[in-house]
Amino acid sequence: MIVGDLLEQVLHGLTLGSMYAMVAAGLALMLGVARLINFAHGEFFMLGAYAFWYGYRQLELPYAAAALLAPAVMVLFGVAYQRTVIRAILPRSWHVQLIATLATSIVLTNLAIIVLGTQPKEVPTRLSSTILDVGGFRIAWQRLLVLGASLVIFWALHRFVTRTRTGRAMRAMSQNREACAVVGVDVQRVAMVTFALSAALAAIAAALVSPLFNIFPDMGTVMTLKAFAAVVAGGFGYVNGAIAASFLIGVTEALAGSYVSYAYKDAIAFLVMIAVLLWRPEGIFGRRIGI
Amino acid sequence: MPLLEIRGLEKHFLGVTAVDRVDLDVEAGELVSLIGPNGSGKTTLFNCVTGYLAADAGAVRFRGRDVTNAPPHRVARLGIGRTFQQVSVFPRLTALENLLVFLQQHQEERLLARLVRARAVRRLEAEAVERAHRLLDLVGLRAKADAPAGSLSYGQRKLLAFAAALMPDPELLLLDEPAAAVNPTMINQMKEHILALHRQGKTVLLVEHNMDVVMDISRRIVVLDHGQKIAEGPPEAIRRDPRVIEAYFGR
Amino acid sequence: MRRAAWLALGAACFAAPWLVAAVVPGQQRYVLHVLIFTALFAALALSYDLVVGHVGSLSLAHPAFFGTGAYTAAILSTGAGWPFVADVAAAVAAAAVVAAVVGVPLFRLTEHAFAVGTLGLGLVAWIVANNWVEVTRGPLCITGIPKPRLGLPGGPALAVTTLPAHYWLALAALVAVVLLYRGLTTFRLGRAFHAVRDNEPLAGAAGIDPLKYRMLAFTIAAGLAGGVGALYVHYLSVMCPEEMTIALTVNLLVIVFLGGAGSLRGVLLGAVLFTALPEVLRLAPTWRLVIYGGLLLVVVVRSPGGLEGLLRRAPGAAR
Repeated sequence: MIVGDLLEQVLHGLTLGSMYAMVAAGLALMLGVARLINFAHGEFFMLGAYAFWYGYRQLELPYAAAALLAPAVMVLFGVAYQRTVIRAILPRSWHVQLIATLATSIVLTNLAIIVLGTQPKEVPTRLSSTILDVGGFRIAWQRLLVLGASLVIFWALHRFVTRTRTGRAMRAMSQNREACAVVGVDVQRVAMVTFALSAALAAIAAALVSPLFNIFPDMGTVMTLKAFAAVVAGGFGYVNGAIAASFLIGVTEALAGSYVSYAYKDAIAFLVMIAVLLWRPEGIFGRRIGI
Repeated sequence: MPLLEIRGLEKHFLGVTAVDRVDLDVEAGELVSLIGPNGSGKTTLFNCVTGYLAADAGAVRFRGRDVTNAPPHRVARLGIGRTFQQVSVFPRLTALENLLVFLQQHQEERLLARLVRARAVRRLEAEAVERAHRLLDLVGLRAKADAPAGSLSYGQRKLLAFAAALMPDPELLLLDEPAAAVNPTMINQMKEHILALHRQGKTVLLVEHNMDVVMDISRRIVVLDHGQKIAEGPPEAIRRDPRVIEAYFGR
Repeated sequence: MRRAAWLALGAACFAAPWLVAAVVPGQQRYVLHVLIFTALFAALALSYDLVVGHVGSLSLAHPAFFGTGAYTAAILSTGAGWPFVADVAAAVAAAAVVAAVVGVPLFRLTEHAFAVGTLGLGLVAWIVANNWVEVTRGPLCITGIPKPRLGLPGGPALAVTTLPAHYWLALAALVAVVLLYRGLTTFRLGRAFHAVRDNEPLAGAAGIDPLKYRMLAFTIAAGLAGGVGALYVHYLSVMCPEEMTIALTVNLLVIVFLGGAGSLRGVLLGAVLFTALPEVLRLAPTWRLVIYGGLLLVVVVRSPGGLEGLLRRAPGAAR
């Protein structure tokens, strides 16, 4: 049953990885398209989770509706955040962006503590409690949903970025922003869309995994760190790289948590990322231009 | 043995070959100019030699020692000084301090030494200040010694950067476009300074676009085009070289 | 005039316990407690400013070094019975060693990765503190850390038991840090740090090895943070993992950036303002962080270029 255990852990890792990947993809998009460092990105995830909880538990919406409520709320929140904070820091140096968004992250996290309390919320759904049992190999249906949904989402994202006008504008902006403005691309609008997209991605990830994990105000901080680790290791702004690195983090975390130490799994995953960066300082996929 | 030997230097950037197997020798005491149309690889060559870019192939030897891909601070300590195309100073330090920083290599700060040989350290510091003042006099910036470098005009900063490069008394000086973007009076000043260095026996390799300056002061000219060395020789020969003419005009 | 003002300030600082007793007799204990905290935090902020303000590396790992020193002192004094002076020295050394070890890989990373890496280091340190229960007792905290005793083991010693005594010890530590800070940020060494901060490529051309100087500042700052951590735990008698979270980083960022990075006066002022004020206002920790975050955000966004000019490298050579 060792192989079975291993497979289970790898699958858990891939589930974790797909969650990280959705969050990291949004972060990479912001970096690639708008050159924005957003250390409050994890809070999109956290607030998205709470929005889902509110919809599912308090408003008693069906799962799908609650799962769509989360990204809807976060897009609105994202737009508000963009108009206020982001607009002011976008032209500034990355140090300013880092500190400003870090400050925002602290404000949001502590406001969440004040308003929502530190007690973790649980949101079990039908799918999270139903286990698929295949010859001794067990996995919750919800995890499969997360995996499946993430693949669909990545496919949709790919289509969006390659087939639509806005998507192409995003890719163009990530390669040469000045030229875009010159040829008439509405740079502000594209940046806004990218931002909304990245907020939505984080929120969808939150809605998908909330039934599996506890929701608490601090969860954004660690998520931001892991997402950034994935983005940096994947080649700063290269979306596919961030996704790949996210799966690496997820699998490492699951395996470390299961076979080495559950308490230290975050530390281990993080150290692995640092090691990767030392081996390839430009990111696993090397220096790339564009998303 | 040449003071500076560059053999087969190559540097590529994402599909563009900026420096294409360049060989270049500079003998001690020479005044050599490196010219070529925009984008011919001159500054890239400088950056490879002084450690700011990693060469993809080739070797650089200084006084017979291999310095290929040595980091900038090591290159500086071996006796190669340089200026930068875009004038580079420490804006928040005063003009005097800008010069003093360049003597770091000779007066390494060791906490213990400071305590034990305090008097020696103080004497070295005083000597450094004196030298800095003399160099400021040389470039006419003595009055601005205590002004933050960021408050100086472009031309003044250029002179400051030049003086700073001279502080550690380097054997080889690499000057990147010393006559660029300044008025004719300054250009003449620069020419005089460079010629004075040459008379003192210093070795100078300069990159320059201003043809008057180049033809006027160089003893030998090396021409780059598209990363390759296409001609080399005294000013009269270069002036008439058809390959050089084509590189600049014939496209 | 300057000289006289400084002397007056120094005298007032030294005489604080009596001044406090005279001015607010009922609140004596509380006010002294706030002053002790302020002095220690000011020392910590100065150590942080060495890295962020003088050499220009945006490190977010300071809680890790503070925590290393704090836990080292706590463990050695409670578990191994080490005397005060020894465990403080060990705390300084431990923090400096950790910094030296992690600094080597961290400084190889690009700027952005460095910031993320240091943030992660802080997290890893907290995870270790929280989970290595055999050594740190995790969330249960290390308690019963003895009061400081200044002296040789077995010989005559000065016990620091009263609040004024604690205050003078903290003040002495702050003065020592201030002197060290000044020594490190002036003359040749200070010029070298500032050169690396303001124009790293040009610093290289001047013969200055940026890595060496960044590591130097980083390691010394870490050692100082560890020392402050040791004094902190000897004052509070308790050490918990909560003391080394990102909240500490935010506190330090606020002090340094609102006070004025790279400026002794600015950081001291910032420390006094942002340590004493919330205590005086009795702000709950969560509200304090909300306000600090908001302040940091506003100042960082609206700063007239001071912040930019501080951290940004001057236009220089190609890299």
